[in-house]
Amino acid sequence: MATLTDEQVNYIANDIRAHGIRLEGLQDNLLDHICILVEQGMGEGGEFAQLYAALIPTFYKKELYELEEEALFLASLKGPRLLLGRGRFFAVLIGLFLSPYLFYVVLDLLHALPVAYYAPPRVLLRWTCVGCVWPLLSLLVICFTPDRFDPLVPRHAKVLLGGGALIRVCPG
Amino acid sequence: MHLNFMYIHLMVYSTELLKGTLKTIVLKLLADNRRMYGYEITQKVKEITQDRIQITEGALYPTLHALEADKLVKTEVEYIGKRVRKYYSLSPAGKAKTKEKVNELASFIQTMTLLLDLQPKPM
Repeated sequence: MATLTDEQVNYIANDIRAHGIRLEGLQDNLLDHICILVEQGMGEGGEFAQLYAALIPTFYKKELYELEEEALFLASLKGPRLLLGRGRFFAVLIGLFLSPYLFYVVLDLLHALPVAYYAPPRVLLRWTCVGCVWPLLSLLVICFTPDRFDPLVPRHAKVLLGGGALIRVCPG
Repeated sequence: MHLNFMYIHLMVYSTELLKGTLKTIVLKLLADNRRMYGYEITQKVKEITQDRIQITEGALYPTLHALEADKLVKTEVEYIGKRVRKYYSLSPAGKAKTKEKVNELASFIQTMTLLLDLQPKPM
């Protein structure tokens, strides 16, 4: 069987890194796997550059770093976690930041009724509402950004809460 | 990240059918063979299944990384010239997990056999 030269091995190693693979273990595994396949092809009379160029796209769908993302994703699946659909994720968060405004309206309605109730200080509620404006606007922008503008959470994506990473977006 | 190519490239079976079995397959292979490296695992699966299941690199290496992160496998490296070959073997926790995963899959297959009426029901 043909054996790759050190320069060829270095070329592949550098290319793997250039494709965005940063995990050392994954780099080693991919390098060894690719070298074996290229050496086999060269043993059958193939040429290094052509073999490598044809081989590398078979490892991924869009980009090689998808393997690293998948590796990190699988490794993060530990502990309690919750996988939410995109719509539900935004509904929960937008609802959370809308709730002070709704509470404010409810308090106003109660105020008009002749009933006794405990009312939290209005000033606290007003500042809570002010504090919620920015996250609410940010969420609305993220939620309604069309896919063609490369949004943070694309359509059909799912959101994983918990696990190793606190929040992770998983393309659908 | 659940892209079809990430899992198993199938010659016969649909991707959906085998999703979720990759960890079990890898653990069982490591249980039956003292230590294996990535390429060797892909070839072993092809050989055993007579090319009906072909594990892609895009599926295998993230899974091996996850098994290592879960401390179910141990690794040792050997230098092949300028490159490193990473061998995987089961850790004690991995051995216990393998039994659990294989039993779980066997039980699932039995249940599906009953559910889909693939064998005569006991009288």
